[in-house]
Parts: sequence; structure tokens; C-alpha cells
Amino acid sequence: MFINLHMKKSLIISTSTDLVRIAPEKIICITSDGNYSNLIQTDNQTRLITYQLGQIEKMISTQLGSEGKCFIRIGKSLIINRSYIYYINIPNQKLILSDAEKFIHTVSASKEALRQLKELIEKEANL
Amino acid sequence: MINQNKDIRDDQIRIVGDKNPTTSHKMKWIPIAIVCLLFIVVALLIIENTRTNVANENNYSSAFEPQAKPTPVLPDSVPLFNIPSDTTNVGYIERIDTCINDIQLRLFIPHHAEMSLYIGRMKKDDPSVIFVGQAADVRADNGEIVGAFVHKGKPISWGKSKKGYCASINGKVYVGVAESTPLFEMATENEGYFFRQYALVDNGKLVENNPKGKTIRRAICQMQSSVFMVESLTRESFHDFAQALVDLGVNNAIYLVGSTAYGWSVDQNGITHEHGEDIWRNNPSGCPKNVSYIVWKRK
Repeated sequence: MFINLHMKKSLIISTSTDLVRIAPEKIICITSDGNYSNLIQTDNQTRLITYQLGQIEKMISTQLGSEGKCFIRIGKSLIINRSYIYYINIPNQKLILSDAEKFIHTVSASKEALRQLKELIEKEANL
Repeated sequence: MINQNKDIRDDQIRIVGDKNPTTSHKMKWIPIAIVCLLFIVVALLIIENTRTNVANENNYSSAFEPQAKPTPVLPDSVPLFNIPSDTTNVGYIERIDTCINDIQLRLFIPHHAEMSLYIGRMKKDDPSVIFVGQAADVRADNGEIVGAFVHKGKPISWGKSKKGYCASINGKVYVGVAESTPLFEMATENEGYFFRQYALVDNGKLVENNPKGKTIRRAICQMQSSVFMVESLTRESFHDFAQALVDLGVNNAIYLVGSTAYGWSVDQNGITHEHGEDIWRNNPSGCPKNVSYIVWKRK
């Protein structure tokens, strides 16, 4: 169990002055904030990352490999952890990310993007 | 790195690690729609092309019909209306035979001559006369000239029953079609000549006339700046003769008395060529007193 915990990949976001190391399942979503990004954590903390969203997406892909597929890029401004997709409302363009226990985080996306997200989940669930 | 933001739109999603964003249903239909559109366009083009080919084939079929615009058959060496002036400046009538719509025509083109009118039986004793052709019609009941007529400035007859007119005023000849024209007054004021006849061609368009039957037809025509006379060498209807003049390219033409009406022309060699029949040669008194002629005299 100990070994397994340490074998689990973490996302490492390093700058010239600091470094963030976080397990993928601790990330609810990452939102774009101009040239920076905000990393929303399951402990309800938000950390400003001095990278653009696309750069972080590339880090996820590079560092996490197939595990990175638990993240979904939605439009230009959002990366979500699909594990926490709780509620999708297309007409209201509302997406609620939650573990239904400790945190609940609401984001917005385009109707078309949400519709595709809904289809993706349905498809993966063989609905 | 900035471009990474541009490779996805706000209406797209992408599983991180995948290169291409998920394509929406709408987007999936776009290529299909484009392919369908292209197919329809190609199909329409093929159909249109087929129709055009059929139409062309029909045109080719009709081209075999004798409806093509005829080309005047003229002597190669003789330009029609661009004949250089000869050095002698002696007036003459150039005779050119041509064929329009299988109608043989003879053109009488005056050179160094001016036109006037003459009333009464025309004699051949004037050597300056190079063309004579009967001009206005004469009424059978009273022997008067049909239509307006001015002789050397003197009005002889009035009337507009015939729309075609010909005037010679101050050395210039006018041929046209009009119910009213100031040329009548101009002729009276300038010792000119004026007469009326059936209109045959009005501004390049055929004018239909009531008289039926076929006979030798004659006309005086204006084509651009040239004025000349035409005689059919075969018996023709008004319509066919007028159509031949249209196809010849004349702008305006009015009728001259046809059939056996007598006249003559003098060519460049001084040889006189007669047309019609001199039916009053042996009976001069039988000639109507108001018979009229257009007369071209050497300048």
C-alpha cells in the first residue's frame, strides 16, 4: 500500500522560484486567468500558476501519460477532472464538479461543449 | 505556446493527451453537407451541360435551314461603296449584279452625278443624263401623281398616302420613311425635288406593304452615306424584295415603279443600258402627262 501510494504519479508544476506537486485526484479543475491559471483543489484551495492553460495541459499529458486522460479540456478556459463531474445543465451552461461530500465547485462552459461532455460520459458509460 | 490556446474552440472539448478536440455533431455534419453540396453542384453542372449540348445540337440542326444571314455575292475586284474617284470626273452609273437570298439584284451606283426629278415622257437627247427610272405612281382615275411631289421647288402634288419619301435638295439626296417631313418644305424653298413612294426599309427594318403579286421590283436606297438604285432581275414580291434590301444592309429604301417601267443607265464606257420596256416609243401620246422619273445627271 505504501509503495502503491508512492508509485502514483503526481503533477509537478515548477517555476524558477517555486514548485507545486499535487496528485491528480486532488485537482478539481484548472481555469484560465489571462496568462496565468488557477488550480482548484479538492481542499477548496486555489493556487495561482504562472503558466498558461495550454502549457499546463501539456504538462499533464507529458507527466501523467494515460492517467492524464482523467482530465478534459473544455474550451479555451477550462480543464476539469472528469472524476468530479457531478451535474451538467446544458441550457444554463452550468457544470458542477463535486465529490458529493467535501466540495462543490461550479463552472460555466458553452452549451455545445457541455453537450459534447454529456455525450462523452454517456458513451463511456454505455448509456 | 500561445497557439495551444488557439487549437481548441470554446465549443469543443478534448481529453487531455488527445491531439484533436472532440468534434461536435454539427461539425460532423459539415463535411457531409459539403460533400452532398458538391455532389449536387456536380450533378447540376452535368445536367446543365447536357442541356447545353442538346440545345447546341438543335441549333446545329436549324443551321442547316436556309435562315443564315446571306452574304452578298459581289465581284471580288469591285468594292461596293468605296470606289475611288476616276480622274476624268465624268459621271456614270456603275452596275453591280449581286444575289441576296437567291434574289438576283442589280445595283445602279451613281458617280459624279446629282439627282433630280422629271415629269413627262423622258427623252434620250440629253447626254448629261446617266440614269432614268420611273419615280412616283400615277393615279389611274385622274392621272395625277400619287403622294406629295415637288419639282424644282414647285409643289405639284400633295398627299401622304405613302410613307416613303425621296428628296434631292442642293445636291444632297435624302431617302427615308416618315408621314411628315420638313424636306417637302425644304424642297419648295430651295428649288429641290421631292416625291413619295412605298416604304420598303425603314432604319434597317423591313416595311410590309399591301400590294401582292410578283414582278420586277425597283427601289432607291440609302446605305450609310451612299444613295443608289436597285432592280430585281427576277419577279419578286414586295416582301422578298424588301427583305433582300434589308439583308443587303441598306438603311432606308423606298419603291420605284417596277414591272415594265422604262428607264436606262449609262456606264463608265458611255454605253446605255435599258431596263423595262419603252411601251410608248411608238405611241408617245399614250404616255400619261404626269409620269415622273428620277434622273441622275452628270455634275
